[in-house]
Amino acid sequence: MAALQTSAPPAPSRRQDRVRIKNKRTVAQRLRHDWPLLLLTLPALAQLAVFFYWPSAWNIIAFMDYSPHRPFWENPFVGFAWFERLFANPYFLPALLNTLKFAFANLLFLFPLSILLALVMHSVVSTKIRSLFQSVVYLPYFFSWVLVVTVFVQVLGSDGLVSNWLLGFGGDRLTFMSDPDSFLFLAWLQWAWKDAGWGMIIFLAALASINPSLYEAAAVDGASRWRRMWHITLPGIRPVIVLLLILHIGGILNVGFEQYQLQRNAVGFQTTEVLDTFVYYQSVIGTQGPSFGTAAGLFKGVIGLILVLVANNVAHRLGEQGIYQKS
Amino acid sequence: MTATDIRLKPRRKSARPSWDEEPSWFGKLTKALFLICYAAAIVLPIWAVVATSFASEEALARAGGNLLLIPTDLSVQAYQEIFDGGALTRSLILTIGLTAGGTALSMVLTIGAAYGLSRPGSLLHRPLLMLVLFTFLFAPGLYPSFLVVQKLGLFDNYMSLVLPMALNAFNLIVLRSFFMNSVPGELLDAARMDGAGEFRTLFKIVLPMSKAILAVIALFYAVGYWNIYFSAVLYIPGLDTQPIQVVLQRMLMSTQGLPGSAADVSQYQTQAPDSALKMAVVVCTIVPIVIMYPFIQKHFTKAVITGAIKG
Repeated sequence: MAALQTSAPPAPSRRQDRVRIKNKRTVAQRLRHDWPLLLLTLPALAQLAVFFYWPSAWNIIAFMDYSPHRPFWENPFVGFAWFERLFANPYFLPALLNTLKFAFANLLFLFPLSILLALVMHSVVSTKIRSLFQSVVYLPYFFSWVLVVTVFVQVLGSDGLVSNWLLGFGGDRLTFMSDPDSFLFLAWLQWAWKDAGWGMIIFLAALASINPSLYEAAAVDGASRWRRMWHITLPGIRPVIVLLLILHIGGILNVGFEQYQLQRNAVGFQTTEVLDTFVYYQSVIGTQGPSFGTAAGLFKGVIGLILVLVANNVAHRLGEQGIYQKS
Repeated sequence: MTATDIRLKPRRKSARPSWDEEPSWFGKLTKALFLICYAAAIVLPIWAVVATSFASEEALARAGGNLLLIPTDLSVQAYQEIFDGGALTRSLILTIGLTAGGTALSMVLTIGAAYGLSRPGSLLHRPLLMLVLFTFLFAPGLYPSFLVVQKLGLFDNYMSLVLPMALNAFNLIVLRSFFMNSVPGELLDAARMDGAGEFRTLFKIVLPMSKAILAVIALFYAVGYWNIYFSAVLYIPGLDTQPIQVVLQRMLMSTQGLPGSAADVSQYQTQAPDSALKMAVVVCTIVPIVIMYPFIQKHFTKAVITGAIKG
């Protein structure tokens, strides 16, 4: 540590110098000045190079007849043949449609719940109740999907707590956790339990940033509670709602893997197959081989890339920042 | 009753601004019911899990199910089995080790890069930042990632659970924007005037000022490692000792009477009732989260807002 301190440039007012004559200095001079910053960034960049950029480059095998048993350069290029096989695969289109179905259901049914929670929470005056409630509803966000599904099976499964109550009252067992027809509802219940509370956090912050004098002026003018919500609260959080909707559409194909894989056996693969599970079951442990799985993943990656770019463009047009600056 | 009413009412009034009329009793009741039901839907299942984990075989048999709300004749047999040094103990130790080691590594990578990229105008600043931001736009895909882990010889190696997820670009950008916006530039200038190098500035000034956000980011990483499930399924299917989430999943499959799991599970089950043991494992996976959570919870909003708006 001591050695590092003495080797760092001790010159006073160096920062101002840099701002003024930045462009006149040579690369060597800048390197002498900035090497600690580069050194600090290096480990993270190495991680990205190995576990992001290297696998990204491996996507090239989606266009090759790749076999791990021969040297890389002996694998022939086959153009879009793997994509043709992908689109001809009878399970691919259902997986894509399921992915879209779950993604849009999440967007349409979970967002309003988070907003509703935030609105109710915001109208609670007592700070004690607010912080207690927040502590409770944020917690399940940190639970794993394995844990969430386990708890759901124990409570709502056919041998679960609620089933036993129903049996006690002469009713029937619940079977909806293994019923393909109700899986979308089940998935929504699980999202609501796990994520809706956490989703409220950003709306609460937006609500807190609305100028309270607006409410006061409206109240003095005789606006009722509901009118104040309609004319002040909702317009106040509209930018956040729009921004979050757009960002979610950008990542819409990333519906996750675990929730669907964990309930695959109970509900059936037709209902729970999404793109990620498709790649895993067809290619990683299935017989379709590396190039096929890579093609499916690349399809998802490229669609995702286009969606993110479009969503960001829309965000910029609406005057929002989006996920990257447009400088 | 009336005495407390009189004493409480002015205090409640003072929290509500004077222009805001008191809501109707119906509105209040609906709101209270909504909040209570919502909180109960989260708390009751967790409570039932805890209660069942302490249940004896007789109590469970009497309840006739696999979950109960009121524990009678408590038993810690399930916990004794978890901690008796068998497969479950090894799994817990492995998961704790992965979480501790992984979080430490992730924090080193994230802090270093967040500070290294927090000075616009420094050498290579813009291209390096672009390399980080590009990870938001594209995902390399499941199979290529799997292939790289294989090529590195990390297949069926615990390192494959930590290294591929060691850096989260989102956390990196959140921390970077905190360094840039919330650590006063004058302070950094003053440090430099006094002859402090970058490393000294980072350790003596920037990090002590960022304790809250560092705690939140460490929690996010730690929860990520603690909840490792899919990476283990993908990268270490052949190893005997699996992370606790995989163990829990195997136990869950056996309850549902689904194929492909019975043999795997037998190594975990001995004397305690099935449900109690399973719920005790669930409790073990919840407890670390619940312990860390209250210390960090008050900083959540700041971290999420920094990430969503400025990131």
